[in-house]
Amino acid sequence: MTRRLLNPDQKRGLIGSAMLAVLILVIVGAYALWGESYQARILYATFVNLIVVVGLQVFMGNGNYATFSHAAFMGIAAYAAAICVTPAAVKALSLPDAPWGLNAFEMHPLSAALVALVITGVIGALTGLFMSRLTNVSITIVSIAILVIVHSIFLHRTDIFKGNQALFGIPRVFGLGHITALVILAIVAARLFRESRLGLRLRAVADDEVGARAMGVNVVRARMIAWVVSTLFFATAGIAYAFYLGTISARPFYFNYVFLTVAMLILGGLRSVTGAVFGTLLISLGLEIIRWLETGPTLGGVKLPEMLGLSGLLLGIVIVGVMAFRPHGLMGNREIEDIVFRRKKTTEVSK
Amino acid sequence: MLEISGLKVFHGPIEAVHGIDISVPEGSCVALLGPNGAGKTSTLSAITGTARATGTIRLEGRDLAGLDIEDRFRAGISIAPEGRRIFANLTVFENLRMGAATRTDGGIERDIEEWLSRFPILGERRSQSAGTLSGGEQQMLTIARALLSKPRILLLDEPSLGLAPKIIGQVFALIEDLRHEGMTILLVEQNAGAAIEVADYVYVLANGLVTRHGPSGEFGDGSGLMGELTGVHD
Amino acid sequence: MDYAAQQLLNALSFGAEYALIAVGLAIVFSIMGLVNFAHGEVIAFGGYSMAVVGTVVTGNPLVLMAAVLIACVSVSLLLERVAFRTVRKADITTGLLTAFGVSIILQNLYLLLGSPRPISATQFIFLDRTLLIGPVHVSSLQIYETVTTIAAILFLTLFLKRSYLGIAMRAASRDFQMVRLCGIRANRVVATAFAISGLLAGLACIFIMARRGSVTPHMGFDPVLTAFIACVLGGFGSLPGAVLGGFILGFLEVGVLVLLPQTAGGLAQAAVFLVVALLLFWRPDGILTPATEKGDKL
Repeated sequence: MTRRLLNPDQKRGLIGSAMLAVLILVIVGAYALWGESYQARILYATFVNLIVVVGLQVFMGNGNYATFSHAAFMGIAAYAAAICVTPAAVKALSLPDAPWGLNAFEMHPLSAALVALVITGVIGALTGLFMSRLTNVSITIVSIAILVIVHSIFLHRTDIFKGNQALFGIPRVFGLGHITALVILAIVAARLFRESRLGLRLRAVADDEVGARAMGVNVVRARMIAWVVSTLFFATAGIAYAFYLGTISARPFYFNYVFLTVAMLILGGLRSVTGAVFGTLLISLGLEIIRWLETGPTLGGVKLPEMLGLSGLLLGIVIVGVMAFRPHGLMGNREIEDIVFRRKKTTEVSK
Repeated sequence: MLEISGLKVFHGPIEAVHGIDISVPEGSCVALLGPNGAGKTSTLSAITGTARATGTIRLEGRDLAGLDIEDRFRAGISIAPEGRRIFANLTVFENLRMGAATRTDGGIERDIEEWLSRFPILGERRSQSAGTLSGGEQQMLTIARALLSKPRILLLDEPSLGLAPKIIGQVFALIEDLRHEGMTILLVEQNAGAAIEVADYVYVLANGLVTRHGPSGEFGDGSGLMGELTGVHD
Repeated sequence: MDYAAQQLLNALSFGAEYALIAVGLAIVFSIMGLVNFAHGEVIAFGGYSMAVVGTVVTGNPLVLMAAVLIACVSVSLLLERVAFRTVRKADITTGLLTAFGVSIILQNLYLLLGSPRPISATQFIFLDRTLLIGPVHVSSLQIYETVTTIAAILFLTLFLKRSYLGIAMRAASRDFQMVRLCGIRANRVVATAFAISGLLAGLACIFIMARRGSVTPHMGFDPVLTAFIACVLGGFGSLPGAVLGGFILGFLEVGVLVLLPQTAGGLAQAAVFLVVALLLFWRPDGILTPATEKGDKL
């Protein structure tokens, strides 16, 4: 039996990814034609979130586990890339006390990104040793512990990470073009993973762990690979974040960001990459409207009160509402091409 | 006592029983025989309310539709389920106490003691965790637990499954005793011979349909059923 | 001598607090497979209730303690009714994410209706005095905490062993459907689990308020996270495991604080979690794993 480069499901996945890529390009095009310059930042942030949520789908979605550590991996990559790429002259000011000569060198952005990916991947593999062996609930709790540990290290080692203060002076080497390319790449990669043998196995384990084990699926290995792959998505998002903003701090890489991205994935549906994309776009749009409300805008001559916590409240309601009324999210098991071609998937597992 | 008509049972989207009629008169023992996957356990699940079903199930003329598991039990349907399902982390006594959970009269302790003396082996192990009992002992415990609520009808799902022949004899002797005490019993079995012997009336189920039914006398010793029960026809 | 006794009592009282919370998490999980992320918000609700009753009604500490306990039990029951009942039959991840959502909703409600800043409620601070027992200085709060926890665990054990509902709860942790097939109402068993969980959260809340003297939207987060870790370490869903895990975490935390240099104080939690991670590598399912088969809970 010859192994083809792509299996038939993956080929269909490429068609689906192409459709999603067109959607992304349409959004970018619309911005280029009619957008205002302040919206570039919003769009960029949305695309960074999109990479994270698609990366979440890889482990959390295919395996049906809840994990909350992604903001930590994003932070690790963002700091690693930032420290590598920032010119030594700037670091002498921003990180005067940094140990191990961290403030004495600088790298080309591409090598910096590569170093950040490798560091995050290695930490992903180390944590994966645990994550792949634990049971469903423990995976969630330990992922929170990872988030807390990493965050406390960011806060504590101010000589390296500046804690809640800004680490500034990072060269702003990325623009909307770069992130658009990365988003499309992420979507294609996530789709190919989902339809690969490994992705299929993970989904089989999610449906019936005991049965899948009996069929000889190596659960630990499948989880391990998916876990490391998903950390690389988070790393990519973190690097893109640092390379665009020019300053980073520890605060965004914590629970609020986790709430946001998890809600995005849940709304779209854990099992589908298309769901991840739709969920991200919908919530990003909704949040822009709410943020505007939260600042206490003037509506029809009436000044609304400032409502801190409104966006969080609505995110929570989205999560609970989806779980209660549509636990598989907007998309369920379907991908975009299943809707466009109205094709009944034979692989769909009835529950 | 129990009247079932046009019963269809579903497991998710799959229809496991395709419309059957069964009648269990008061004080009788009715056996439901059939091969694996015939729909016997599904039928019992529909009666207890643990599976989704359409059609009507009446207990003493009362339609059970819309009643949940607990209310059907309180109406008088008690089951000794397949696989026995004793609470392995509870003691023998506590298992029996659970059987009498819905009772509020003062006779619970007395009835439990009565069962413990009926099965001395359970009496000896009353404070031992039920998970340590042998299969046969667990079966006796399950039946005792099911009867402690003083049900109107007892459903027995494969009580002989996985037991040694000698123990099977004891289980059927107990069923025989219960019948003489006037208990109404719906018995699901694969062990056709023994079931026909204790039953007054027999239904044979295959592929979710009743293929044959009649007084147990018509079935002889059950050997003629071999083809139907195993699905092998000569 | 003084130092060692103080640290021992520290460890015991930390462990007691974690055990109280961890048992509350474990009892709900053992019965309906729900990982209750909103437990910390139940504790915070107790704190807010205390602040409100304390300013509007009375400052009497005994009344306030009763108010905290009632508030925690009520909100716990309310959450079960409005949020968790709909996902009772769902898989673990769905239930977990629902609880996560509920937790976010409550935190943000506290932000919207209360304040992101601490609201002071100091009526329980009198519990925390320095006592001189022989030559040893100890904190009275820590003694109360340890004793109360041990008493609560004893009462709970008695309830689970002796009362008919307690026996039903133990049975339900193994085979909930069979419990229903014995005519015991599922809603009653689940509600009892949430009531106990809320009561234990209320006790923890009283001690936390006695130590902090103020309430914030996130006050329950840290202790509940540690209690979750305790549950994982002890074996998720096992009540003895939750108690054991809670006390192990208490001792680990004090051990780390004693051993780690002062400058690394901010990393104490990280160090504790790392030790737990190594323990989990040794026993991925926890120390006292409940022997439940993987399968449907209801």
